[in-house]
Amino acid sequence: MTAAVRPDAGVKLDGTAVYGTDLDVPGMLWAAFVPAPMAHGRIRSLDLRGARALPGVTVIGPEDLPRLLGPGDRDLERPLFASGEITYRNQPLGLVAAPSALEARAAVAAVRVEVEPLPIVADLESVFPEWPGSSADASPHVAGHVRARHGNVESEFATADRVVSETYRTASVHQVALEPHACVAEIRGETWYVRTSTQSPFGVREDAAALLGVPEASIVVDGTWVGGGFGGKGSSFLEPYALLMARATGRPVRLALTYAEEFRLGRTTLPAVVRMDTAVTGGQIRARRVRLLLDVGNSLPGRDFATGYSIGFLLGPYRTVSFEVEGYAVRTHKPPFGPHRAPFAPQCAFVVESHLDHVARELNLDPEEFRHRHLWREGDSTALGQKVGPFGLALAFEKAQATARQWRTEAPPGHGVGIGCGFWSTSTGAGGEVRLRLGPQRLVVLEGEREIGSGSVLAGLSAVAVRVTGLPRDRISIEYGSTAEAPFDSGVYGSRTLGALGRAIEEAVVRLRRTLAERLGARGQAELSVERGEIYAEAGERRAALTVLLTEEERASGGVVADGRHFAPGGTIDERRVVAGSFYPYTDFTGAAHVAEVAVDPATGAVRVVRYAAFQDAGTVVDPGAAQAQVEGGVAMGLGTALTEEAIWSDEGRLVNDGLLDYRIPTLGEIPPISVEFIEGFAGAGPFGAKGLGEPPIVPVPATVALATRAACGAHATELPLSAERVARALKLL
Amino acid sequence: MTSHLHLTVNGRAVDLADVPAPERLLDTLRWRLGFKGTKEGCRSGDCGACTVLVDGRSCLSCLTLTHEVEGGAVTTIEVGPEDALVARVREAFEKAGALQCGYCTPGFVMAVAGLLRERGTAAPREEFLEGLGGNLCRCTGYSAIVRAVDALRTEVP
Repeated sequence: MTAAVRPDAGVKLDGTAVYGTDLDVPGMLWAAFVPAPMAHGRIRSLDLRGARALPGVTVIGPEDLPRLLGPGDRDLERPLFASGEITYRNQPLGLVAAPSALEARAAVAAVRVEVEPLPIVADLESVFPEWPGSSADASPHVAGHVRARHGNVESEFATADRVVSETYRTASVHQVALEPHACVAEIRGETWYVRTSTQSPFGVREDAAALLGVPEASIVVDGTWVGGGFGGKGSSFLEPYALLMARATGRPVRLALTYAEEFRLGRTTLPAVVRMDTAVTGGQIRARRVRLLLDVGNSLPGRDFATGYSIGFLLGPYRTVSFEVEGYAVRTHKPPFGPHRAPFAPQCAFVVESHLDHVARELNLDPEEFRHRHLWREGDSTALGQKVGPFGLALAFEKAQATARQWRTEAPPGHGVGIGCGFWSTSTGAGGEVRLRLGPQRLVVLEGEREIGSGSVLAGLSAVAVRVTGLPRDRISIEYGSTAEAPFDSGVYGSRTLGALGRAIEEAVVRLRRTLAERLGARGQAELSVERGEIYAEAGERRAALTVLLTEEERASGGVVADGRHFAPGGTIDERRVVAGSFYPYTDFTGAAHVAEVAVDPATGAVRVVRYAAFQDAGTVVDPGAAQAQVEGGVAMGLGTALTEEAIWSDEGRLVNDGLLDYRIPTLGEIPPISVEFIEGFAGAGPFGAKGLGEPPIVPVPATVALATRAACGAHATELPLSAERVARALKLL
Repeated sequence: MTSHLHLTVNGRAVDLADVPAPERLLDTLRWRLGFKGTKEGCRSGDCGACTVLVDGRSCLSCLTLTHEVEGGAVTTIEVGPEDALVARVREAFEKAGALQCGYCTPGFVMAVAGLLRERGTAAPREEFLEGLGGNLCRCTGYSAIVRAVDALRTEVP
């Protein structure tokens, strides 16, 4: 497939695209955090005098906040700086600003802090040594608790032909966007103005307003080009701090993380433990019990989204008669949990696929036939009672099986072929809006998201606009605006851009067509076309050049305006099945089945992926080039989660591998040939039945590699990543 | 120690006053001369985003002291179409869709240009793939980048 030329290729190939790290304002100061020296302790004293005595240096600590921020309604639950108790290593204690990066670092080094150490809880499993034998509800370490059940679980387990129980462990993985977080803040009159590399300018505005205690209307967030998001730039992080320092100094302030800080402070997927019990009778899964301990680091109680959302990925995409599920979000002395491309879903798919494969083997059943037979089909009910919508997973699985059969006949000894699958649902967020402006020459789509690289904005939305207006692509441009200029949108996350803003464009175009038909004196909706360089509207028997149909004011402002908005409601779950906490319904069901051929080194356990095929349920493919790019990129990122990526936290809560040499993402030579096939026709909630594709392609990857590894050498991996060491252990080589 | 240095950047002579000995070429290019197309990633030689050419050879500008390249010719992603090799690489990346967020792209383009200049299109494919092992990309999964490299190797210059 030939990729269409990306609209952003030019500025990214000549070096003119400005990212957050490139922002450069005359007179700006360079800011840096004062990091907490340990993961848990009581601050005895924070002496900023040495740093403040340095020339040109400004230092802010917790005591300066009331003076700088006044009596506004601040979110005091989430303090900007630790005061009193430190709860994770490198937690900001203060912020310095200096004329250069070097001087800022010297100022940080001049801060003296005395801390009384408190016991550090870094290891998730040390919190509840008795789990899952006893309840963990009463622990102060619990940030969230979810529980649900359906059917007669106890009797199904008691009367089953066979019960298989296993425990799985998954590692902390980092987004590793190549651009570290960076922003530049300024105070312009009464306005708090920040330019930043973010997936969600409106999300940053909302969050900064809450943290600083100022009205949202006083904050303007303007997005730059984004050097990779993957969830890590989905909410505010540096912006409130940079704004605060700009207020304190009256100067523009640049705050950017070093790459080591990027790792140490990153809010991402943390370790988890999952206990799976499955009861099978007559070859059918009759009951499942799923228990999850998810490390959420320093996340606040009640602010945990991860457990209730993630746990659904441990229950699907397989039919079961009855189930019981319980999950705990566990606080440890690490930075807060944050989203990482399809948060925690690849880990869940690894557990579910590996476990059900193992269950079938224990019962002497064909593992692939066993899984295929239990897969959700449209009309089935999820564990939480939501009806499954159009879902292409069973078909994807069948295609994967055909590929796997072929590859198995070709694979040499020592190689293995495996199939893994998974699902995802597009998130809706808080909805999105667009504003269209149609002039005599072109259609402008104004919206509030920045293109983060996935192509969902510049390729996806322009493809939608082409398809719904009938105008050629070179007549359509996507324009961004700051939060003061653009209509609201909740941001680029949850694979939602194409669905939400695409549908908003559809709605706006309907309005635009109606307005133009009215102006032509006709009913219904006008058709658009281009003739001799001019845009024309036609309705009924009437036809006119657009320029004739515009008011004088519209001619001056660039065209006739139409707004559209979209909020995709999720489905409904059966609340009677929920015992505690919140679970989330899905908007649509997006499946993917993958095939991997791997070679395992019998001496070291090292796994090499030889070739790879992805079958992706896509609803309708809107832009083939961007869609293929998402699958190729998602698979590669998933190979990292599968094989090499593991953020290692010491017992002292220190991130041991805080650089790209020790935290290993895949390199060019490690990526196998990847073939991609889309399955269309199972309509999603997006325009023309499209399904979001940013996240689904990463979900099945670790499962696929694990099952191929088992096929190659017999190693049954119950931990991620499948490092050579872990595979060697499973093979009893170590 | 500081001193005056003379470089050529993208074909233009540049005089630099008072360059401290520890100053990195990356910072000279980005913050002294404004060539922000050269990207700062890890600052420790692991990611390749800061790759530029020095006298035609690819070089990690984050690990290079500006003093080391005194008198040298530096090529960055901002170089104009007069650099036919870089222009060819750009075109191949554009055609293959070999970029997404674009942050690793300048480093990749310069690294590929450096390999082509040093080894020519006749060099084995493996040399190219190995030679690009130090340039990290998190978005594309490298597949489209490899397609761009393959197209460059097979086209007749």
